[in-house]
Amino acid sequence: MSNNPIVKGKLVCVALNDSEQFNAMQAEFAEAPYKGAPTQPVLYFKPHNTWSTDGAVVEWADGADSMVVGASLAVVFGKECCRVSQAEALDYVEGYTLVHDFSLVEQNYYRPDIKGKCLDTSAPIGAAVVAVEDPQALTVVTSVNGTVVNETPVSQLVRGVAELISTISYIMTLQPGDVIAVGFPGQRAPVAKGDKVCSVIAGVTELNNTLGE
Amino acid sequence: MKHARVLFNGSELDVTVEDSFAETGLLKSKTDGQLINETDVTWLSPIKEPGTIFALGLNYADHAAELAFEPPKEPLVFLKGANTLTGHKQNAYRPDNIKFQHYECELVAVIGKEGKNIAREDAMDYIAGYTVCNDFAIRDYLENYYRPNLRVKSRDSLCPIGPWLIDKDDVGDISNLKLTTHVNGELTQEGTTADIIFDVPFLVEYLSKIMTLKPGDMIATGTPKGLKDMQPGDTVVCEIEKVGALVTNIVSEQEFYGDKY
Repeated sequence: MSNNPIVKGKLVCVALNDSEQFNAMQAEFAEAPYKGAPTQPVLYFKPHNTWSTDGAVVEWADGADSMVVGASLAVVFGKECCRVSQAEALDYVEGYTLVHDFSLVEQNYYRPDIKGKCLDTSAPIGAAVVAVEDPQALTVVTSVNGTVVNETPVSQLVRGVAELISTISYIMTLQPGDVIAVGFPGQRAPVAKGDKVCSVIAGVTELNNTLGE
Repeated sequence: MKHARVLFNGSELDVTVEDSFAETGLLKSKTDGQLINETDVTWLSPIKEPGTIFALGLNYADHAAELAFEPPKEPLVFLKGANTLTGHKQNAYRPDNIKFQHYECELVAVIGKEGKNIAREDAMDYIAGYTVCNDFAIRDYLENYYRPNLRVKSRDSLCPIGPWLIDKDDVGDISNLKLTTHVNGELTQEGTTADIIFDVPFLVEYLSKIMTLKPGDMIATGTPKGLKDMQPGDTVVCEIEKVGALVTNIVSEQEFYGDKY
């Protein structure tokens, strides 16, 4: 089923987890249709048709005028993880890697964004899965055609890695080969056909993709 | 033909359902033709390698009205994790400290062939068959972010599916199938697929315009009106004419998770 050697079951992504974006949107959260800030992590799936790899050419969405990309630190599970505490959460992690979430521009967060987020090949995962002592100390840096467009310290996320693993593990049992992308920059970077996107976590891994024509 | 997957003597087994099943409870192993009685198996989800699970919200006009929503102008599609799937006659749990958990009896179309940009008139060529699911919802957990959010719709065990996958041609026309739900023997939900707003060919065309559909992907087509709260100890039967009747037992969170609770 999987087009990627790392993710085997599900790829869960966390939206609205960049504290800069989260704080900037407070007034909007109070209005319709949201009528209140989220009290829980805002989650979405990237389904299996979206999974691709380091080096993959990401398809340009049919008929789209514009696309954006965000990169996230991703947690790869090494063992079954069901209802775990924050204190023990990291024990279930095999290692860490990167996810690129290519999508249409995020218009709003009210309804599941199937049209925007479920595009074929739009979720490259990789390149390597690496054990890390403290994932909160990592920073994800993304460049488009060599120019840095985002620099997101994991410590800037509203909810950290251990908290997310714990919370999500009470909703759904995570299996070996399941992946959580813990948070994307609030300002997704615009991309154009043929662009080269590179994300790096220093000393951990790097993920390179090219937009199709 | 009806295809099921069961646990028998500790192993997963692909079986077909004998024509005499209603009287005899007999299943036939696809491996060696052995006849097995239903009483000796544990039913599993009939989809061996579940792909993307699409589900529809507010896809019956009467249900949308029941929830005080305008019928949608475009399908309200959400995705579910495979952790939600469980088989016929298995347990599903009611979370602690909630007020309202309801069943949703739904016709599920299972994709049998890969395709992208499938035209409506070709859509049925891409369907392998049908099954029934019970797409439980916990209304207490609804939030207005990617609603219905994963906390409502992607919980362990809360999408029982089965009992079997029935071949498309054995069902024929799906545009007016009766759906019923019984809780502890009492009829609580009644409807017909004739009230579906976005039908299976429409949904195949719509989704395949966005993304490639693959074998094992499933489309749960929504539920008619008739919501009722569930409690541990309840038995729920979701039945769709010509497809099957799916039985689920509701247990407490503690009973479901046991040592992991």
